[in-house]
Amino acid sequence: MPTASSSPRVPVEERLFSLVLALLATDSGLTKNEILSTVQGYRQKYAHSGDNSNLERQFERDKDDIRDLGVPLETIESPGQAGNNQNLRYRIPRGEYELPADVRFSPDETTLLNLAAMVWREGSLSGESRRAILKLRSLGVSTTEPVLGYAPRVRVRESAFDPLSSALEKRQYVRFSYLKPGDREATVRRVAPLALVQHQGRWHLYADDPEAGVTKTFLLRRIVSQVTTTNQTFPAPSADQTERALAELDEVWNAHTAIVQVEPGSDAATRLGKRRGTGVAASGALELHYSDINIFADELAGFGPEVLVLAPGDLRDAVHQRLQRTAADHG
Amino acid sequence: MADRSQPRHAQDKLAFLLSLVPYLMDHDRVSVADAAAHFGVPEHQIREAVRLIGVSGVPGETAMYQHGDLFDIAWDDFEDNDQILLTHLVAIDDSPRFSAREAAALIAGLQYLSSLPEHADRDAIASLTAKLSRGASSQPSQVAVEASESDETVALIRESVERGSQLEFDYLNSQGQAERRRVDPLRVESVDADWYLRGWCHSREALRTFRLDRMSLPSITDEPITHAARDVSLPDKLFEGSVDDLIVTIDVAPAAAPLIADYIPEGATMTEVDGRVRTTVRVSHYHGLKRLIASMPGVATVVEPTEARAVVAEWAAAGAARYDAGHAPAATQHEAT
Repeated sequence: MPTASSSPRVPVEERLFSLVLALLATDSGLTKNEILSTVQGYRQKYAHSGDNSNLERQFERDKDDIRDLGVPLETIESPGQAGNNQNLRYRIPRGEYELPADVRFSPDETTLLNLAAMVWREGSLSGESRRAILKLRSLGVSTTEPVLGYAPRVRVRESAFDPLSSALEKRQYVRFSYLKPGDREATVRRVAPLALVQHQGRWHLYADDPEAGVTKTFLLRRIVSQVTTTNQTFPAPSADQTERALAELDEVWNAHTAIVQVEPGSDAATRLGKRRGTGVAASGALELHYSDINIFADELAGFGPEVLVLAPGDLRDAVHQRLQRTAADHG
Repeated sequence: MADRSQPRHAQDKLAFLLSLVPYLMDHDRVSVADAAAHFGVPEHQIREAVRLIGVSGVPGETAMYQHGDLFDIAWDDFEDNDQILLTHLVAIDDSPRFSAREAAALIAGLQYLSSLPEHADRDAIASLTAKLSRGASSQPSQVAVEASESDETVALIRESVERGSQLEFDYLNSQGQAERRRVDPLRVESVDADWYLRGWCHSREALRTFRLDRMSLPSITDEPITHAARDVSLPDKLFEGSVDDLIVTIDVAPAAAPLIADYIPEGATMTEVDGRVRTTVRVSHYHGLKRLIASMPGVATVVEPTEARAVVAEWAAAGAARYDAGHAPAATQHEAT
C-alpha cells in the first residue's frame, strides 16, 4: 500500500475512531473532501492538488467497516445540490448511534447475556458476540457469579453459513446447488433467504423459492456448491421468520414417528429413551420422532444390534441397508 | 490471510474504543487494573486505548485538532498512578447500539440456553430479547437455535454444586457396561444439541467428561466434594487424547470430514485416495469406533488396522442380521438366553 513516507503512519483504529468522532460531532454532515482533507488518518495522505482516488477507496472500505459495527453512518444530500455526488454529506446521527436510555441491563441479565455470547465462541458469529459483549460491558454493569459454571457452544461448520447470513441481512437472492437425498444429481436453486435456524443440532436455511412460489427448508450440509450472492434484492419479510421456520421443522418432526425396539440397558436404550419427545408403546418399544429419514437411519445404524426398527417400513429398510453396506465395506 | 484479519482486528479495536469511552465517563476515576478486569482484557490493552483516546478528537472549527477539540485525561495520574480520569470529553455521550448481527447472536444464544435452570422465567427472556431488539441499529437478523433440551439432570447437577455434595449416577461406557459413578461436578458444557458434564470422577480418580444423555438415575449423595470448580483448571478440549488411544486409518467422503473433526488428531495427514480423504482418527477403544463408523454408512470406511475393520464389520453384520427373515424380536431372544 503506497503511503506518504514523510508523515508518520496512523494506525487503522485511530483513523476509524477519528472518523466516527468527526461524524458524530457534525449535525449538517461533512463532504467527502472535508473528511479526507481534515480527519486524522486521511489528512496525512491527502493531496491538496492531485489524485486522491486511493484515499477515496480507503474511505469507502472504512465506511463499510464502521457500518458493520452497527454505527448508522448516513449520507445526506447537500441542500439545493440533489444528485451531485461530490457534495453528498456524511454524518452519524447521535439518536440512532446511542443505545436508547431505556435499554439497560441488570447484573442477572448481564450474566445471561455473557453466557448467550459464549455460545458463539467459535466460528462465524464469534466476532459479533465478542463485540456485543464489549458494548454490554461499556454500560459498567458487573456480572453475578453463577452457581454452576457453563460452557455452552453452538457450532457452525457449514461453509454456506457465512454467505447465507450476509445475504439474509442484505436481503439478496442467492444461488446454490442442492443435493436432495435420493437424487443422483444436485440441482441449482435460486432463493430469497429468510432465516437460518438450528434444529436438532443441524443448520437449516428457510427460504422463499420464487419460481415455485413457496417457502422451503434446506439443510445446509446438503448445499454442495459455493453460495453465490446475486445483486437482486427482495423486500423485508415479517420479523417472525425464525419462529415460522422452527415451527415448520417441529411439525415435520412430530409428523414422523418410528417404532423402535431397543436392547434393555444398552446405550441405545439410554440415549434414545432420553431423546426429545420419546414415548414408550405398550409393547415396551420406543416411539421416536424424526425430521429426515436419511439422517435418522444413519443415527440408528450407529447403534448396530442394539436397535431393531419395527416401523415404518421405509426406515426399517433404510437402516437394514445401511448396516449391510457397512458390513460389506469392512468385509 | 492478513488481508482478512487486518480489518477485523481494527474493527474490534474500534468497538473497544467506542465501548471504553462511555465506561470511563461513568467512572470518575478508575484504575487500569479495574478497567482491565471489567472488560476482561490485559492491562496493556487498556493503557494503549487510553493513550489513543487522550490524543483523539474532532477536527474542530479550525480543522486543526486544537486542544479543546481533543479528549483529555489526567496524564500525570495515568502515567504515575495507573489511574484513569477523563478531564475533557468530545463527541461521545453514550454507549453504542448493537449491530443487527450482534443483537441476533445474543438473541439466538439466549434462546438456545432457555432450558437451563437459570432461565426458569420465560418472561424474563422475552423482555431481554425485546430490549436487545430495541438496542440494535436495525432489525436483528433472522438467526435462531432451537432451545436445547437439557433435561432435569442439569438442575440436579446445579443443586449438587450448590450443596457441595458429590453426584452419583449410572453411566454406560461405550462398551455398553453400566457403572455407578461418583463425581464432583465442575462444569456443564454443550456442543449444539449434546450436553456434557465435566467433573472429577472419584471412581476413576481423574477428570472425566460425561454425556448427559448417557447418565441415568442421578442422585445427590451426602459425601462432600473434594474438587471445586475454582480449584481445577479444565482443559479447553472436551476430550483429551490419551497415550493409550488407538490410531485408526480411515477413508472419509470430503464433505463428511468436518463431522468427525473432533476425532482427527492435530497434525494428522490428509491425502486424497479415489476421491476420498484418507486420514487418521484417535479413539479410546474400538467400541466407540464401531458406533461412529456405523453411523456414517457409505461415507466413512476403516482402512486399518485389520482388527478395527473386523470389529466394525461384526457390529454392522450383527445389526443387519436382526432384520433377516424369520429372526425373532430381540426381547424374546433375550428371555430365551
